Amino acid sequence: MTLEDNFNFHSKEYIFSNDNFLSKERENIFNKIKLKDFDKKNNESLKNISFSDLSLFNYCYHSTDEDPNIILQDKYIYKINIVNGVCKNYEDENIEIRNVTNLDSKKFADQNGNNIDDLVIDFNKIFLNSGIFINVKKNSKLKLDLLHTTYKNYTIFQNNIFTFQDNCEVELQDEFNLSNNTINNINYNIQVNNKSVVKHNVFQNFSNSNKLYLTTNTVCEKDSSFSQNTYNFANGFVRNFHYVELNGEFANATLNGCFFLKDKNLCSNKTHIVHNSENCESNQTYKGILNDYAKANYFSNTFVSKNAQKTEGYQLSKGILLTDHCSFFSKPELRIFADDVKCSHGSTIGPVDESALYYLRSRGINKNEAMKMLIASFIEDDLKNLNENIANKINQNLSDYLSSLR
Amino acid sequence: MIFLNINNLNVSIEGKKILDDFNLTINQGEVHAIMGPNGSGKSTLANVLAGNEDYEINSGKIIFKDLNLLDLNIEERAQKGVFLAFQYPVEIPGVNITPFLQSSINSKLKNAKKPELDNLSFAKLLRKKAEELGINTDMLKRSINTGFSGGEKKRYEILQMSVLNPEFAIFDETDSGLDVDALRIVTEGINKFKNEKNSFLIITHYQKLLDYIRPDHVHIMRNGKIVKSGDISLAGEIEESGYQNI
Ligand SMILES: Nc1ncnc2c1ncn2[C@@H]1O[C@H](COP(=O)(O)OP(=O)(O)OP(=O)(O)O)[C@@H](O)[C@H]1O
Ligand SMILES: [Mg+2]
Repeated sequence: MTLEDNFNFHSKEYIFSNDNFLSKERENIFNKIKLKDFDKKNNESLKNISFSDLSLFNYCYHSTDEDPNIILQDKYIYKINIVNGVCKNYEDENIEIRNVTNLDSKKFADQNGNNIDDLVIDFNKIFLNSGIFINVKKNSKLKLDLLHTTYKNYTIFQNNIFTFQDNCEVELQDEFNLSNNTINNINYNIQVNNKSVVKHNVFQNFSNSNKLYLTTNTVCEKDSSFSQNTYNFANGFVRNFHYVELNGEFANATLNGCFFLKDKNLCSNKTHIVHNSENCESNQTYKGILNDYAKANYFSNTFVSKNAQKTEGYQLSKGILLTDHCSFFSKPELRIFADDVKCSHGSTIGPVDESALYYLRSRGINKNEAMKMLIASFIEDDLKNLNENIANKINQNLSDYLSSLR
Repeated sequence: MIFLNINNLNVSIEGKKILDDFNLTINQGEVHAIMGPNGSGKSTLANVLAGNEDYEINSGKIIFKDLNLLDLNIEERAQKGVFLAFQYPVEIPGVNITPFLQSSINSKLKNAKKPELDNLSFAKLLRKKAEELGINTDMLKRSINTGFSGGEKKRYEILQMSVLNPEFAIFDETDSGLDVDALRIVTEGINKFKNEKNSFLIITHYQKLLDYIRPDHVHIMRNGKIVKSGDISLAGEIEESGYQNI
């Protein structure tokens, strides 16, 4: 179906279709897209994916009659099931979890303030059909395991608002259990308040008929820390676009990712960190291994505003290309308006190191095995400091990926 | 059995001829040394023996233990007992020495249809060999050659040799960059390892190493071929008057 059909047939089903202000806004965005009134040449949302890939789909969404579980393990581990964008409403002394309803329109109207020029976010706003609020209360120390399940043919347009109150210590983990032919356009607004530490691990693995557009917008307040690691083993299309604003002094943010592509896999990555305050540190590192005809891109950005003195900001992209047919496009950008800063960016993309391969083979290790050693070493750093559960999962996926290499 | 016979070997790289009708025979248990000016093709010879795929073999033959060596790839040669101690050992960050060497020895054992070593027995073996060579066992926790000093890299090549126990070891300037103590340790290592089964090809610029090791034959290489062969006294001549008169 065309964008127009989807919009007209289903417009009563979207969240906030009761709200005049948001409906108007929706209409405006829709018209902008319909008239193709957007940058077509240098549009980051159209990298490795065409406008018709984005806009031609069959909108399919029904609220589930299932009642997804929240399972509490050891009092601190919350296993939260999200089925077609919906979870259970829940509250205890540490946390509040609830689904977005039409009554939340005011809150969402406020969110729309940070306007990112991004078609995927535009689609998210137009077709919004689900959303989750999570509020982690002051001084809580816990782990949230989110499992997103999407039924066959479903199109999820989700906007989540997560708030971590002062002095929390949280491990947030996202995993995806996607059926076939699904679209998952999921946007997070994450607020990390003073002195809170949030680790976000995102694990992506699903079959090639599915698409995942994951966007996170994080704001870090004073003395807080946000570190994200995405691991993409998916055969389907994955877009990882992640933004952080460092708004309080001594905050730090890390946006790291690894992707493992083969066949004709595609993925698109972007990280963007804005330094608005003094003495903050940020790191952005994406690494990829590409085989066969796979294609990837990575945009990384550091923006240091005028008053953000004593900033440290580092960007790095690394890629191993296993064939002549695959490609990895990397574009780092640094914009600095303060004078007392330490910033750098680097990029190394190329075939596997032949002299290292020769050295290993000259000790009797066969070529395939040697290749695996070199690839494992490439992401060794990214496997440190992970909890056992996710480390095992990544190791399993990595060895599956490596055994698929010829 | 023919141990090693190199017959009329011609090798080039990017169209440039480097080994020119090269001939050499090494019998089991023998130690041969090759000396020669910079750029004469010594490392090329060593790498061609180890199976490096960058070189073009234009003609000639190499027989190793009755096998046609040129038919084997890099790892097959290593599994059959060829070992090259590199002139410039490669740094491989993130690949840890211990599991790497364990896979090496196990691939060799597997090829010989012998039982492989488990983690514990391998760790013991490695520790023992390291101690024999005066190598600090802390080093065994590190990544291959990463951040090693020049001398440490060379010592670590000898450690690998002693663990893998090859029948034919090639040393490409293993003595360069070693301090006196390290040179003694390395040569003691080689001497201890020497027996009637193992053969060596030692590439060096210095008589000192040869004084310690006492090779059976010394060859002088120039422009891609051996131009003179003799005993250890040849090394002394070179040390005194250089390559001019040869
Ligand atoms: N990859 C290469 N590309 C082009 N020329 C090469 C390459 N490798 C070696 N050569 C050339 O081949 C010749 C022989 O080099 P080789 O390294 O074998 O010399 P060597 O005898 O080991 O010298 P040294 O004593 O300096 O170690 C040199 O002229 C060198 O420049
Ligand atoms: Mg050399």
